[in-house]
Formats: sequence, structure tokens, C-alpha cells
Amino acid sequence: MNTCEDKEVAFFGKITAGITHELKNVLAIIRESSGLMGDIISISPEAIVKYQEKIQNSLVKIKDQIDRGVELTDRLNKFAHSTDEILSKIDLQETIEQLIALAQRFARLKHVVLKTVPPSQEGPPVTLVTRHIQLQMVLFASLECCFNAMSAGGEINIGIRKLESKNAVYVGCKGDLPGQAEFVRNITESENWPVLKEIAACLEGSAHLDEIEQGIVLRFPNEISR
Amino acid sequence: MENLKILLVDDEEEFVTTLAERLELRGLQARAALNGEDALHMIEVDIPEVVILDVLMPGLGGLEVLRRIKAQHPKIPVILLTGRGSEKEGIKGMELGAFDYLMKPLNIEDLLKKMQEAIEVQP
Repeated sequence: MNTCEDKEVAFFGKITAGITHELKNVLAIIRESSGLMGDIISISPEAIVKYQEKIQNSLVKIKDQIDRGVELTDRLNKFAHSTDEILSKIDLQETIEQLIALAQRFARLKHVVLKTVPPSQEGPPVTLVTRHIQLQMVLFASLECCFNAMSAGGEINIGIRKLESKNAVYVGCKGDLPGQAEFVRNITESENWPVLKEIAACLEGSAHLDEIEQGIVLRFPNEISR
Repeated sequence: MENLKILLVDDEEEFVTTLAERLELRGLQARAALNGEDALHMIEVDIPEVVILDVLMPGLGGLEVLRRIKAQHPKIPVILLTGRGSEKEGIKGMELGAFDYLMKPLNIEDLLKKMQEAIEVQP
């Protein structure tokens, strides 16, 4: 029995609540934009000409929000399928990109920008046989650790790095950061740090602080056994 | 409610600007702020008669903005916007002095009715 399984439901809830909140904003904009067009049409036929620009702007907003809604729904659907198989072969870069998309709202609320770092070398994608949902949990926990150590206006860069000839995920916290000692304290004393370590251990991997570059290094085996 | 001065506060720019346009078409004076800090500044420059305030925003959250509005201008009615499933925040806001809360996506008729009620009960 993997000790992190009980945390999966809470993680599912957190991500789903975040994305559905975004979807509500999408629907709110569509409702107001279509409502504005309805308001104008109901004034008079002349108003349609007078406010033609507002109508055109509303149509553009509706189209943009539908695109945003489709993207969010696709991400949420993919996320919901994370538990279809206990162990599966996963493209690490694709999972990082997926997680970054799901976590955007959390970052925005902290005034932090999230970015993925593309792979530095051409070649086959880095794959792992692991628990997909827990891999996303560990990536999200590392972001939460960075949020604790950063002030508004910061940036988190996350990507795959070759460290000691093995692939690792590097989560770099950039911006107006405190000094090295305070950075370490902010992360290691936060409630997210033991959670991050625990989930990494469930994946037979590890999480370490890079005090000099101010980031978090996540290492995983190519294949886990449970 | 003709010419009623309203301040809308929400970080979703397209939502808040479109809602402001709809209220203006109805003869109200609506201004929009995209964050709590700007909203507090705008209130100091020109006091609105009603504030419509989103609860979940980056930076200063809606409940903190509400607290600060009520400390400086206790008579301004504040109507909170919250998501379904976040009713607890709305109830907490009412305990802090909000007039009421509405769920997003909004129905503009509900908003107008709620604003009418808010200005009627103000001393």
C-alpha cells in the first residue's frame, strides 16, 4: 500500500476546484458578452449600428473564452484520466507542461509566473514508468514550496535537467528572493516540504534543495516497482 | 438607480469591463478595478454608492479589501461575488459587514435587484 494514496483525493479536489473556478470565469465572461449584445439589440435597430464596435468586441471575447474553456476542459479531462492505470509509461516533459497548465491559477493568485523549460537536447522524450497522479502531486508540491519562499512578481522555471548523467526535474525559483539562509528556512520549515519529501519517497525518488541556485531538484527512478 | 455610482472589483478584466458596459447602458455610473489595491485607491478618490467585490483575487483578497472598506467607509454597501462551492467565503464576508453575496456567473437582473435592496436599506 502506497502511503501517498490518501493524499490523492485531496490533490484531485484542489486541482479540480481550481480549474472549475476558472471555467466559471469563462462562463461569466460569455454570459456578460452575450448579455451586452442582447442589451444593445433590445434598445433599437439604430443602436445595433451605433454600438457595432461593442457587438464585434463581444463576439471576439466569446470566441476567445470558448477557446480558453476548451483548453481548460481538455486539461481537466486529461488530469481526470491520470488514475486510469496504477503504473503507466509517462512522458515527463508532457507531464510537466500539463501540471504547469493546471497550476496557472494558483500561481496567478500568488502573483508568480510559471514557465516550462524546454529540453536542452534533441532526442527521444524522457519517459518513466510510474504513478502518473503522484508524479503530478510531487511536481505541484514543489511549486507550493517555491510559492512559500517567493514574493510577488517572481518566476518559477521547471524542466528536465541532466544531473550526474541522470535525468532530474529542476524547479528554479527566480525573482526577488530572500538570502540563501532565509530561502532554505522558508522552504524547509513550510508545511509543504515534508509533504513533497513524502510523495517523492512514494515514487521511490527524492527531493533536494539547491541552496546556491535556489531551486528544488526532484529525482526519480526510470521505473518504480509499486 | 439612475446615475448610481458603482465600483466593480474583479481581476477578470473582460468580465468586469463588460459588466460595467452593461450597467452603463442602464444609466448607472460603473467603474472597474482589477485588484484590491486599485479599488481602495479609487474609493478614496471618488466614493462609490455600491461596491461589487470578487472574493478571490491575487494580492489583496476580497475579504481583506472588504475589511479595509468597512474600516474607512462603513456605510458603503458591498456585494460580494463568489463561486458556487465557495459560499463559506460569502457568509464570512457578511459577518465582516458585506450586504450580501452573489454567485458567478452572474445574472444581471439579480445584481440590479440586490443593488436596489442595498441602497434602500442604507441609513
